[in-house]
Amino acid sequence: MTRYGPAALLLLVGAAVLRISLFSDLSLRYVQAGLRPYLIVSGVLLALLGVVRAVSAARSARGGTTAADGDPRPAEDDGGHAHSHASGPRVAWLLSLPAVALLCFPPPALGSYSAAREEAARAAEYVGAFPALPAGDQVELSLTEFGSRAVYDSAYSLRGRTVRLTGFVTRGDGDTWYVTRLRVACCAADATAVKVEIRRAAAPQGDAWVTVAGTWHPEGELGSEAAWPPVLDATTVRRIAAPSNPYESR
Amino acid sequence: MSDQKHAERRGGLADAVRLGTRAGVYVLLGGFSLLAITTVVGVLGPMLALDLYTPPVAAWWTVFTAVVVQGVPFLLLGACVSAAVGVLVPERVFTRLLPRRQVLAVPVAGAAGAVLPGCECASVPVAGSLMRRGVAPAAALAFLLSAPAINPVVLVATSLAFPGRPMMVVARLVASLGTAVVMGWLWARFGREEWLRLPAKAPAGTGASRVSAFTASVQHDFLHAGGFLVLGSGAAATFNVTVPRSVLDAFTASAWVSVLLLALLAVVLCVCSEADAFVAASLSGFGPVAQLAFMVVGPMVDLKLFALQAGTFGREFAVRFSSATWVAAVAVSVLVGWWVL
Repeated sequence: MTRYGPAALLLLVGAAVLRISLFSDLSLRYVQAGLRPYLIVSGVLLALLGVVRAVSAARSARGGTTAADGDPRPAEDDGGHAHSHASGPRVAWLLSLPAVALLCFPPPALGSYSAAREEAARAAEYVGAFPALPAGDQVELSLTEFGSRAVYDSAYSLRGRTVRLTGFVTRGDGDTWYVTRLRVACCAADATAVKVEIRRAAAPQGDAWVTVAGTWHPEGELGSEAAWPPVLDATTVRRIAAPSNPYESR
Repeated sequence: MSDQKHAERRGGLADAVRLGTRAGVYVLLGGFSLLAITTVVGVLGPMLALDLYTPPVAAWWTVFTAVVVQGVPFLLLGACVSAAVGVLVPERVFTRLLPRRQVLAVPVAGAAGAVLPGCECASVPVAGSLMRRGVAPAAALAFLLSAPAINPVVLVATSLAFPGRPMMVVARLVASLGTAVVMGWLWARFGREEWLRLPAKAPAGTGASRVSAFTASVQHDFLHAGGFLVLGSGAAATFNVTVPRSVLDAFTASAWVSVLLLALLAVVLCVCSEADAFVAASLSGFGPVAQLAFMVVGPMVDLKLFALQAGTFGREFAVRFSSATWVAAVAVSVLVGWWVL
């Protein structure tokens, strides 16, 4: 690696991490919200390390390699790299790939393509009485919560209530369509899909984000296969902009 | 004289004209080719990019970036702890804390893994640093295996993922610690020094230069391991996008096949150890023993971890150690699962 290579790389990675965590909420596309403060701390630390490295490299460049106070490694990094850990610093350049991607063209959030492939597996919950829904005209529910109540709630808390669900559109066979959301526990690599079938409304374009208001349409026995996926009779379907946090957390 | 001057001037004029024409031709030609190139690149480039940027490629980029982003804080934590161990903690602390006999040192180091909160990215640099500080490799390896699996953060996540099934947490703790200790003992008995390429010596820090030794060590460990994290993330994203998890539901019938299948899935998925319990819980078609095997193998053997280990300890070591660990982890989780679950 060149003299300023490590410093540049540390600054680049630090800048990329800060760009998605501190200066925007893009990190929500990749990792769960709870990781954001740690990302900010890591970004600041990496940038600081980069600055320290650059300063010590500049100092050892000016004062020759007698840098007793500066970086104790330059001699090793510049020259004697034929030995075993030669691949180390060189392999570090791979870090610039995701860093540049995040800085210049951040990858999109996962959408219907992944939802169709990571068909969720129902949440492993059991039939039982759920607490009553909050009072009010319309109740905003996550797809996970709606699904659990629709399939497992022996107190039928959804009965006669108007609920509002938000997600993106995926298509099934024929005219069937779903409001879908991906659930993420740690990062996008563990995403699984939850969905609710929408009836009595025409399907919007695939991948469009919508908020659907409507009432639960009971189907099948509680906890049985026939009860899945849950169904909503729509009264209104409204197109919305994609939310900054595209995933539901667990 | 004036004639000569005149001729010179004429010559100069002709030269200037020739130069001007040549420059004009160059500018024209250059301009045309530049225009042509920008047109071709500007029109074909986006078309080609759009052609290549299909949903699977976009999903690959997202998963790849996500695994790297998720790993960065933990890698940095690992590099910091490792630097602290290497620079700030004197060597005699370890020799005093750990029993002299390897047979006893292995379980103690394995249980000490509970102290390091984080996922598997953090534990590799720390284990390397422990070895540099004179801790027996067998003990350091037991720590390497147990730390990402039995720390409180991971155990709490497991209990959240399996509500109402506390035995799952117990089984995970017992099986992970058991595998780590078995692997430590195996290394103490059969391991050879030459398989293990010990990490580069840490800068010796004394007095005022301790701070700079600390930062240098953090930088080195982070950059070094970061490159391998990127490699591993690429492999993980490739498997994530090419093999949908729903394909697996076809193999839920046989108990033995399902255990082996989920143990392999844990290797290729590279889910971070703080999240793998949720993934295991969502694979509800499989039996509890198979889910346990997924959670025990995942933090100990996966593509990302393999790349990290190969980078830190050498490929020869990583191949032997990872394959042996996989077998041990499957065997121990089957035993523990059969006994506890």
